[in-house]
Amino acid sequence: MRYALLVLGGPYSHQAAHSALRFAHAAIARGHRVETVFFYHDGVYNASHLAAPPQDEPHLVDAWCDLQRTQGTALQVCVAAALRRGLLDAREAERHGKSGASLEPPFELTGLGQLLDIGQTHERLITFAP
Amino acid sequence: MLLHLLNRAPSSSSVHQDVLRAMREEDGLMLIEDGVFGAVSAQVQHFPGLEGRLFALREDLESRGLAGRCDARVIIVDMDGFVALTEDAQRTVSWF
Amino acid sequence: MSEITEAPHGDLLVMLRHAPHGGLWLREALDLALVGAAFGQSVSLLLMGDGVWALLQGQGPGPLGQKGSQSTFEMLEMYDIERLYVDVDSLEARGLTRDDLLLPVIGVSTPELSTVLAGHRQIFNF
Repeated sequence: MRYALLVLGGPYSHQAAHSALRFAHAAIARGHRVETVFFYHDGVYNASHLAAPPQDEPHLVDAWCDLQRTQGTALQVCVAAALRRGLLDAREAERHGKSGASLEPPFELTGLGQLLDIGQTHERLITFAP
Repeated sequence: MLLHLLNRAPSSSSVHQDVLRAMREEDGLMLIEDGVFGAVSAQVQHFPGLEGRLFALREDLESRGLAGRCDARVIIVDMDGFVALTEDAQRTVSWF
Repeated sequence: MSEITEAPHGDLLVMLRHAPHGGLWLREALDLALVGAAFGQSVSLLLMGDGVWALLQGQGPGPLGQKGSQSTFEMLEMYDIERLYVDVDSLEARGLTRDDLLLPVIGVSTPELSTVLAGHRQIFNF
């Protein structure tokens, strides 16, 4: 089946991102495709490429990027939720006069309409909340 | 059939009461994260009438030291079993 | 007597279970509902738990200018949100009546809650 995940919890502060990653790998192991992960609310912090966790903790941002690289999973971040929390890609950083970007590919900023599209184009949408 | 996901302990939040009120007889309830604290024998009375459709995630039980304390009325599933439950349910609703 | 005159149905059900001001759940949930309506989807809202506080009259912006949710709710008709359901038990548990609310609502009893959920193709629970 075509799966999508909605992550509403920030990394490390809550278990939501860990659970979502574990679920993604288990779904793939069962032969499903995890085509999209959408990040909303504090879940957008998962996309911060400035995250620098201690080495003995899982690197969640890298884990998301690995999922994209190995499975082609799209990593979509709600632009409105991201901007107000300081998650800006290069284009938004320039537009807002900021010195640097905090969000890089493979994460992509997108609108909330995309989340509604996901509900129509994927067979399953599972939400992981803080 | 809906699969409801709950990640709050009944001892810390009243959201489980809202879940129960919104469930139909064919719906399932999956306890994950801190929700698994509701699976221990002293707490499971918060989930009456769910025999055969109350589940708890094994890895969240084990990481919290609850593997041996889970009530017999709760069906323990691993992550693979969790995915399988979402295959059977057309939609899932997450409560937090 | 049931206030639900037609079987609940729609593309999108957004459940609001958090009070305004203390967090951003309500605002960001309403944003999703408004986007759904703007995209032409048939959208319903269900207020449950502390979400029912969002409809209380007399709210204002926070001292730092936090918007709250009153202005968004006042726009709902303009955005063509088709149904505004409220869990009657949650209202009563908080000592609220319809007269306390900003907008007319469709009261939902506990046995009807699952019917509302079942009637929508997509459910987002905030």
